[in-house]
Amino acid sequence: MERHTRFWQCALLALPLLVFGVLVVWPLLSSFYYSFTNWNGFNPHYQFVGFGNFARIFTDHLFANAIINTAIWMAAAIIVPTCLGLGLALLIDSRVPGGAIFKSIFYLPICLSAVVVGQIWVWIYQPDWGLLNTAMSAVTGQPESYAWLAKPDTALYAVIIAWSWQQTGLAMVIFLAGLTAIPHDLLEVCELEGTKFRQRVWHVILPLLRPATVVVVALSVINSLKGFDILYIMTGGGPFHSSDTLAMHMYNESFKKYHMGYGSAISVVLFLIALSIIFIYFRQLKKVDEIYE
Amino acid sequence: MSSVALARADEREFNPWPAVIFVGLVVLAVLFLAPTIGVLLSSLKTTKEISLGELWSLPHSLYLDNYVKILSDPAVHTYLINTALVAAPATAASIALGILAGYVFSKLPFPGSDLLFLAIVSGMFFPPQVILIPLFRLFNGLGLIDTLWPMIFVHTAMGIPICTLLMRNFFATVPSALREAAILEGANEWQVITKVALPLSLPAVAVLATLQFTWIWNDFLWPLIFTHSDAMRTIMLGLVFLKGQYSVAWGVQGALSLVASLPTLLVFLFFQRYFIKGMTMGAVKG
Amino acid sequence: MFNGIQRKLLASVLAVTATVLLFANPALAAGEVTISHYFTGSLGRAGLEDIFAQFKKQTGITVKDSPIGHEDFKTGILVRAAGNDLPDVFSYWAGARTQFVADSGHLHPIDDMWKREDLGDIIAKPIAEGATLYNGHRYLVPFGYHYVGVFYNPHVMKKAGIKEMPKTWDEFKAMCAKLKSQGITPIALGSKNRWPAQFWFDYLLLRTAGPDYRADLMSGKASYTDPQVEKVMGLWKQLIDAGDFAPNSNAATWTDAADKVARGDAAMTLMGTWITGYWNNNKLEPGKDYEFFAFPTVTDGVPKAALGPVDGLVISKNANNVAGAEKLLTFMVANPGVQAKWASIQGALSANVKVDSSKYTSVMRHALKVIQNSDAFAFNYDLATPPPVAEVGLSMFAEFMNDPSGYKEMLKQTQAGASDAFAQQ
Repeated sequence: MERHTRFWQCALLALPLLVFGVLVVWPLLSSFYYSFTNWNGFNPHYQFVGFGNFARIFTDHLFANAIINTAIWMAAAIIVPTCLGLGLALLIDSRVPGGAIFKSIFYLPICLSAVVVGQIWVWIYQPDWGLLNTAMSAVTGQPESYAWLAKPDTALYAVIIAWSWQQTGLAMVIFLAGLTAIPHDLLEVCELEGTKFRQRVWHVILPLLRPATVVVVALSVINSLKGFDILYIMTGGGPFHSSDTLAMHMYNESFKKYHMGYGSAISVVLFLIALSIIFIYFRQLKKVDEIYE
Repeated sequence: MSSVALARADEREFNPWPAVIFVGLVVLAVLFLAPTIGVLLSSLKTTKEISLGELWSLPHSLYLDNYVKILSDPAVHTYLINTALVAAPATAASIALGILAGYVFSKLPFPGSDLLFLAIVSGMFFPPQVILIPLFRLFNGLGLIDTLWPMIFVHTAMGIPICTLLMRNFFATVPSALREAAILEGANEWQVITKVALPLSLPAVAVLATLQFTWIWNDFLWPLIFTHSDAMRTIMLGLVFLKGQYSVAWGVQGALSLVASLPTLLVFLFFQRYFIKGMTMGAVKG
Repeated sequence: MFNGIQRKLLASVLAVTATVLLFANPALAAGEVTISHYFTGSLGRAGLEDIFAQFKKQTGITVKDSPIGHEDFKTGILVRAAGNDLPDVFSYWAGARTQFVADSGHLHPIDDMWKREDLGDIIAKPIAEGATLYNGHRYLVPFGYHYVGVFYNPHVMKKAGIKEMPKTWDEFKAMCAKLKSQGITPIALGSKNRWPAQFWFDYLLLRTAGPDYRADLMSGKASYTDPQVEKVMGLWKQLIDAGDFAPNSNAATWTDAADKVARGDAAMTLMGTWITGYWNNNKLEPGKDYEFFAFPTVTDGVPKAALGPVDGLVISKNANNVAGAEKLLTFMVANPGVQAKWASIQGALSANVKVDSSKYTSVMRHALKVIQNSDAFAFNYDLATPPPVAEVGLSMFAEFMNDPSGYKEMLKQTQAGASDAFAQQ
């Protein structure tokens, strides 16, 4: 039995590990190698600078700015799309009429590419004729022409809202899949015993949804850390870096300022931050298994 | 679930909650649809109209020129076919590999498997721009630049972390008792996967199929780097390059965006029926 | 389900193998030149396809082109350079950016071709030296160039009673005041992508401190904290404080600003001649619906410089077909028909002096005349200073347009960032 298990462990893991190793791990390590150099991307010649790039990170005020923005994005990502997605999944799952249509409407944003989503939200936030300001003027009777994306105070939040619009559908879909794993009869029994909806949700559904919840939260964390495409289209990290995230800062340093080595160092730090956060979540996963054993 | 509660409530008194929920959902749905309607509006207008700030008004007439232009463009057809040729195999391959790996991590753990799992999941922890150059060099060395292969391989590899994560978590909800029972009856692990675990985890596979296809379809970074000629390009590149350095093409871009998002929507509509309740957990009580 | 996928895989394998074989065929390589460029607007692409077809008819060489949007182009070229797989020919921006690429040894020097084809006689004098010479060698052939001027809406000016365009700074400020008194926004600026704001900095610096000082600033010999630069920001601030700029410049792109002027909501915008291509496409008439005047003189006695970007073509060092590439470059710049057609599509000026100026619109002829009467031609900020420094400066311009009050502090930070970037060169 032992040897059988061994065989299957190797056989099943071989192909995934091979593909992953060659196409992800090796390029990642090779890119991390450049973090110890001052390579500018174009020039085949470069020098080693040891930990110089990493030291520079500590004095780079743009990096500090990016970390704060990324933390804000991550906090919003963990709360908004997750809760909204959960709520939507619960509501739609309760056999409300038109469930399939609602599912499609909330999923539709993900089908649109980042290019499109970015552009349409730019048109929503347009100060003079954008949808948001037009709607606000209609409601308050006062002409509104605030430039949401151009003002450093609001740019980041404006982008996060656009991103959450897309991300909610993702959360909803995963929660819907998770809800299918909850046994129908279990809930029926609870109902027959007279529990209220709220109690059912809190004590039965949520714990059983934990595998899905962890996936959604993990994805939110990871996607917020990598959040790039929509940000690139809507603000490019601007105005003057006020909506920079770590991923955008890395891109700017590597591909716009041609500081490839320094950009690699930033991505190493980004990687380590993500790793630590997920490692903590990982502990949660262990507890999930214990429910099912 | 609460349909039972709804039925019983009706017998006793007027329960406002279903109506409230429905209205709430409708309001949210309208809010969520607003941006998409904006894209639709942009596709029915000329670039000039949008430049004049008239995007958010109802069109006076049905201007279908943008759609005619892109649907009759043979380049667009090529782009769509190429994108399908990349997205379908890559989706299938990444899910297959995720199933294999996820099964081992959830049902056949070994000392250190948790760390290995974390290592695989960490493959999601970096922006793809980080490995642009190493991967370009790799495929250039293999002579595969300007073909569809690099995109298929890279999307497969980049999809392994999320597929493994989801499959592992959903396999974990399949009780080990089921697996042990099957093995006692003489099944090997492969049969356990295909006949026991997978059928119970179909919702997860359906979700992955939808999400992976969507992500791969909407990607433009890898096609940007790995393709040079029009014959190999994907639809997202076609979309991005409608803009010139000194020119814009809003109307056509809107139309192409909607056309380009139809396949992913269709894939979702096809797979979403598998998020149905009550397909699991019949076998083991308590 | 597997059958469908197997079939698709087989189809893609066959398709891809066929394609790989097709492109790997050595017999084709001899008569083939690969080019990558950033002209992706529909007009530009169609125009280039015609030009390449013409080239094939003339020489039998097939041009395999790969257009990429200009922002992504920068990323794409960088990746190809790092992977040693640059196309034979690629378009690039003359000035500091080409200097950057030349310094890393990726370009093939074209001194021989220059002499052979007497390109010195053909290429417009104002841009010839600055655009083509790097480290003492010729590397780039200019393909087209633009001029930056103050483009205005004649209808708006007429309605406001402005008959003569300003020649001096005081006249300019007076004109803005007159426009404001009639409720017309004088200047539209679309600095969302930062770069449109640079022209204000460039011209104010050129008109006060002169092209020589500016060249020093661009190369790191002068400092952003110098009094000359402070004076420039002060003058710029005067305009902003007087309310001469439309509000929220950072929310608008350059096309938004151009649209404002075309609609009559603003009177003028400082932009390059490519705006004529954009406006022509929107069916505006040159001369009637739009015209320009040169940026006014600010300080007397300062040499009057013209500003604009130069688009060029370069050959990569490891090109597969150097001979073919050189033929293509020569064809693109020396053939007056090709040049005239390209210039009209892009709203650019031809790099070839032999192009009959009657092929230009009245506005472009006006631009040509202004350049010919200028004392110097300068590249705009983000093409005149190395890319890492340009990034710092461009962000500062955007910050300035958001709120100019703290500009002295902004200049200090810019200098810190710039000297940092120069040190790492």
